[in-house]
Formats: sequence, C-alpha cells, structure tokens
Amino acid sequence: MTRESGGSGPDLSTQVGPLELQNPILTASGTFGYGLEFAERADLHRLGGLVTKGLSLEPLAGNPPVRIAETRGGMLNSIGLQNIGVDRFLDDVLPGLVGLPPKVIVNLFGYDQDDYVRLAERVDPHAGVAAVELNVSCPNVSKGGIEFGHDPEILCGLVRRVRSATGKPVVVKLSPNVTEPAALGQAASAGGADILSAVNTFVGMAIDTNARRPVLSTVRGGLSGPAIKPLALRIVWDVAREVDLPVIGIGGVETVDDVLEFLLAGASAVQVGTALFRDPRTAERLVDGLRDRLQTEGVASVRSLVGAAARQE
Amino acid sequence: MAALDATGRVLEVRPLPLRHFLLRIRVDGMEPAVPGQFVMVAGADQAEPYLRRAFSVYGQEPAGEGALVISLLGKVIGRGTEALAACTAGEDVPVLGPLGRGFHTMGQAGAARGRSALVAGGIGSAGLGLLAEALAGAERPFDFYYGGRTAGDLVEADEFRRLSESTGGRLVMTTEDGSAGIHGLVTEALLETLEAGRPEAEIAYGAVYTCGPHGLMAAVARIAADHGIAGEAAMETPMGCGYGACLGCAVELKKGGYALCCRHGPVFDLEEVVW
Repeated sequence: MTRESGGSGPDLSTQVGPLELQNPILTASGTFGYGLEFAERADLHRLGGLVTKGLSLEPLAGNPPVRIAETRGGMLNSIGLQNIGVDRFLDDVLPGLVGLPPKVIVNLFGYDQDDYVRLAERVDPHAGVAAVELNVSCPNVSKGGIEFGHDPEILCGLVRRVRSATGKPVVVKLSPNVTEPAALGQAASAGGADILSAVNTFVGMAIDTNARRPVLSTVRGGLSGPAIKPLALRIVWDVAREVDLPVIGIGGVETVDDVLEFLLAGASAVQVGTALFRDPRTAERLVDGLRDRLQTEGVASVRSLVGAAARQE
Repeated sequence: MAALDATGRVLEVRPLPLRHFLLRIRVDGMEPAVPGQFVMVAGADQAEPYLRRAFSVYGQEPAGEGALVISLLGKVIGRGTEALAACTAGEDVPVLGPLGRGFHTMGQAGAARGRSALVAGGIGSAGLGLLAEALAGAERPFDFYYGGRTAGDLVEADEFRRLSESTGGRLVMTTEDGSAGIHGLVTEALLETLEAGRPEAEIAYGAVYTCGPHGLMAAVARIAADHGIAGEAAMETPMGCGYGACLGCAVELKKGGYALCCRHGPVFDLEEVVW
C-alpha cells in the first residue's frame, strides 16, 4: 500500500484549516477506540486522520448496560464516555500512533471549563497530537459538555480559554440538538476555534415492547448511522455557509456518495463512525472508492469539490 | 493477525425445529476458533438490520487450502437472525472473526479434577459446541445438561449425547413443559446431581461451563459458588461491533467497573461477574 506520488491519479489531500490531511476520510470519536485497537483490522496508514475516543482527566467506567440499541438505519448509544483517561492515552497509546500518516486528533471532554483547560494543557506538549476536538455535545452524561454546546456565550468563553491553553488547532464538535447549530458555530469561531466538526449524535430513544420499558439504561441515547445523514448534511450546509471556519462533516457516512455530499455541502473532510461497527474497513474502502470515483469523473482534486454545491445554488 | 474480516460462502442453511437453524459457511483464511469464541455475521448484501450479529462458533472443520468451514447454530428471534436464516447456499456473507476470549480454564488444575458439567439453556448450546468437542477429543469426561422450554428447543441433542457419552458422561435433558427429558429446569437437574450424591459425583464436578439466558447462568453461578466449583459462562449482550470499538457490550464486574463482552469475554469466570 504505497501511496502514488507524482502520478496522474486524483489528489485526495485536503486542507482543513491548519491541518493538512492525506485524504478527507477520518474516523469519528468513539467509533475507533484509541486507534491501535484497529491496527489488526484496518490499515491505519491509509486514513486521513483519526479522532480518539473522548478523553477525560480521570478514567471513566461509563454507563451501566444496556448501552446500545439498534434502530432502523442506525443505532442509539449511551456509552457514558467510558475512557482510559488522558494520561494513560498520552503515555501508553499515543507513542504507537506517532509517525503514522494519519493525523491524530484527540477528543476531550470535561465537567467544567477548568477540566477542558487542564486537558488541553496536558495534550499541548505532545507533538504526535495534530489537534484537539472539544466534545461540547455529548448527550449521554448529565453534565459532560452538553451545556457548553447549547449556550453560545458559554461556548465562546470555553473555547477562548482552551484556545489560550494550547497552540494546537482547536476543533469544536457541534451538537445537532439545538435550534440553530450554526449559531453555536459562530460562537465557537468568536472564541477562537480553528475548525468545526458537525455533528454529534441526535438525542433519541427506543422502547422494548416486550419488557415495556426503555431499552437503554439511561433512557435517552445518541442516534447515529445512515438514518441521520440528511439531518447532518443540512446542518453542515448551514454551518459551512454561515460560519467562516472549515468544517468536518459527520453523520451516517458510509458510501462514496455520502462523502461527496458532505464535501459538496461545504465540508473539507468527513468522519466515519457507526459504519465502522458494521465493517471495520469502511474508512479504507472509502479512500479507495473516492479515488476511483474522482479518477472516473476526471476530478483532479478533492479540494475542488468542497462547497461546490453551494456555489451552484 | 488475530481476527480476519472475510467473505464467507454459505454452504448450507439447515432449518431445525421452532425456527432454529444451522448455518454452514466456508471462510478462506480464517483461523480456527477457540471454544467459546464468536464471529460477527450478516446476510448477503444486507442493508437492514444495519449491524452484524454475534454468533458463537458452534462447530468448525478445516476445508483445505487454509479454509475453514464453520457452523453457526441459531434461532430466529429478530430481524438479524431472520436475515441469516433466509440465506441460501452459494451466497457470500461477511464474517469477522474469530473474536473474543474463549473458555480459558480447561487446562487448570481445578478443572482437570473430575468431570465437568456443561449447562446449556436453549440456543445457548451453540456456545458450548466447540467446548464439548474439545473435551471429547481430549477424553475429558463431562455431563451435558440441556434445558429448554419444550422438546423442540433441544436442537442437536443427539450430537451432545454422542459427545458426552464418548467420555463416559451423559446427556441430561430437561423441559419446562415436560415434553422431553426431565420435567423442570436444567439448574434443578444440576443441583440434584450435586446434592443426591450420584456415585460419579463423589468426586463432584471439577468445573462447570454454561451458556444460555442470563437468569440461567446466574443460577449456575450461584450453584457453583455454593458447591465450591469453579466455572465459566459464555455471555451474550447487545453488541454493536464485536471487536472493542463501540464499547456497547458492557458487563459489570465484581471488582468494579465494566468489561467488554466482546474483548474480555464473551467467556467470563462465573465469580467475576455481577449477576
């Protein structure tokens, strides 16, 4: 799997604000572990980037079962941000990822603003981390981040503090569970964010009709998978037009067409999530499929597609 | 490479009573499973349901040229199993595996003492198929307790009879409606053997291995603890991915926190789980 260099194939590389990626396919937080778990099942080298499971200052055990419920075209999850803690990630996992072509983006979440600042400070000295992504929108813990993602003023203040705590590019992951996600994107921009990722999961629920009670132990969970793609695409479209920041599209990406739709809507890259559960090689397949598609269509560069549909409007 | 994402060729879908089915799939390059390990599978070109389903490897045989033929024993209970039961011979289906940690105490001193008890509830027998074969192959005696609601639930009973009897053990069948074997619960039959002092039971059971509904395994864990018998359970939880990425398959541990059924399990020590 050598990368063609200087060949006549299409250029898959993309620029997402300060991040230069070898291709626009990343793996989404919470769907790819910390990266190394996939080493035996997926070819890490070929990803544009990977976003770690959300990391907190201290390890977290997560929510009690039942944590997932399959739904039509997707699934609900309520994992509860189970993670090994930022220090163990930096000490034990990150060294194994350093030097690989994909950019490593570390997803962070805290219970208060100080947590986010401390997390950013911990990560800051590590050259292997390309950027931090702030989870300000997890629907599955009562406090973790969600209020930051729902109030423009608070979000702006939080991003400003994180911005001054690290020199790394700051990605803010937007919640779809607000009236106008773009307004939150503007707040993040005002606070100094470099990149927006959109969107996190949609709050939903499922009921076990035999037991006559909610399936998930927390009742509510985050909906992901193909079912949310049109909803996510609309938000990416709005955010890309209304906020002057590069956007990474997230939500039900599984096919090359999905990737193209997000790019055309204005995303500079995409994150693949739930589709990995169905097929751990989805991200690699998309890299190959995208290259083939651009080749067939005679498109020289991924970058030429970004926002192209908006320009046609 | 420990686990392989491959395409398998369906060789046979054998319908069994009460919507049970046996699926035989040829998978090139798949490593043989350890007893208790599982695969994630879906039907051919299956769009819905979206996620694959976890199946214990019930049987396996090398098929030459690095290929393995695996048998999956299942029961139609929802959309996923429905899709698998609807497969036809010749179709190509995705198979990821073998996955997880299988039975792991068979070689230990405690387990080697005396015979083993294998306790299956319904289609949980699928999780004990390779173990029964391994014990029989090693001439390690075991009794197979097989419980169901009704006679039709006891699929492959003849196979478990053959394997257990080949070791000098026996098959004990129970049904809740009395339509086959002993009328009652399989855990009652296990208790009876343990407490009635059946001659062979003088040396008691060295180990107990179980797979079935949660309540059954919890009862087996209690019985094993009461009688000082070590054991393991092949557990089932809702699973998203099967390989540790989604963190959906949490099993609560006595020492605190959760373990992933797909990675730490699906086979757990009876005493480590909060039942």
